[in-house]
Amino acid sequence: MGASSSPAPGVFSPMLTDGSVSDAEIMLRVKTGDQSAFEYLVQKYRRPIVSFMYRMARNAAAAEDLAQEVFLRVYRSRESYEATAKFTTWLYRIATNLAVNHARDTRHERPEVQVSLDEPDEDTGTTLEVPDSSLNAEQAIVRRERMMAIRQKVEALPEQQRLAVIMHKYQQMDYKQISEVLKKSESATKSLLFRAYETLREQLKEFV
Amino acid sequence: MKCEQLRERMPDVAAGLSEATAAESSHLASCISCAEQFKAMQETMALLDEWQVPEPSPYFDVRLQARLREEMAKPQAGWAMRWFRQPVIAAALTVIIGIGVGLFFSQGPRIHNSQPMLAQNADPGSAVGDLQTLDNNHDLYANFDLLDDMDLQQDVTANP
Ligand SMILES: [Zn+2]
Repeated sequence: MGASSSPAPGVFSPMLTDGSVSDAEIMLRVKTGDQSAFEYLVQKYRRPIVSFMYRMARNAAAAEDLAQEVFLRVYRSRESYEATAKFTTWLYRIATNLAVNHARDTRHERPEVQVSLDEPDEDTGTTLEVPDSSLNAEQAIVRRERMMAIRQKVEALPEQQRLAVIMHKYQQMDYKQISEVLKKSESATKSLLFRAYETLREQLKEFV
Repeated sequence: MKCEQLRERMPDVAAGLSEATAAESSHLASCISCAEQFKAMQETMALLDEWQVPEPSPYFDVRLQARLREEMAKPQAGWAMRWFRQPVIAAALTVIIGIGVGLFFSQGPRIHNSQPMLAQNADPGSAVGDLQTLDNNHDLYANFDLLDDMDLQQDVTANP
């Protein structure tokens, strides 16, 4: 490690300078009690897991809570972790199970579709988009409506299609990874995605 | 290349996860039906890009760290292992086992008479005896709970 590239404090530095170390190997270090290895995995995956949960959960507070729960479960399961699958497959399986159970538990609740994009969310103090000063009020309203429509149409997809779309479109996972998380064949995953995108194209055509 | 093969690949290519191969590109250039479908899918992908979500809030990291600290402070092994690993509890168990052995030998009428204090115990196996055992065990468990709590407190202070 060169002194010129001193890592940020709290970041698991040996791994960052050695690209050959896989996350599965890092998870095996967590298993042996290496807490800095766990810290590294949290730093690496906090944004993707939070964004995954924002799109799966009904409100912002639940999304962040579920994302925290993912990391707690990773930590709790460290002793039983086996590097048989890719770390991300295992991670997204945990996240998927949590998100699906949450969706089933709260399916009678009204989804937070009326959330304001400009005013901070009451629970988290966040806004649902980066304020864009280049838009006038009317454009902002149009944009908000489009975003709400997209969200509603994705939410209305059957569970497996919705999971596949969110992993594919927003988590940039390929067919193989998604099929492993969903425990489906690759061809079944392909047709799942194709059908989902066809439905979305049909339902969102007024916005294109 | 068949239309079906290309359509299987379309979501990955339209989402930018994968580059179209030469064969796929030439099919798209010659097949109007596939080309239209591909264009529509690209438009859908572009529309889906508009659904943005915020960054994790500052509250997220604070809360996660607190929950993790709580999790890390928890003793790892099961309760049985913990009991035997604690010297205080091991000593306590030795004493308890000792008393148990003493009780066992006190059951004979001879020893029973010579130890009036223990004579107040009902015969083991009788209903009263069972209740007494349950009662004693309750105290025992209560004490272990107390020790566990102390144990946890020590862990918390040891891992701030
Ligand atoms: Zn074709």
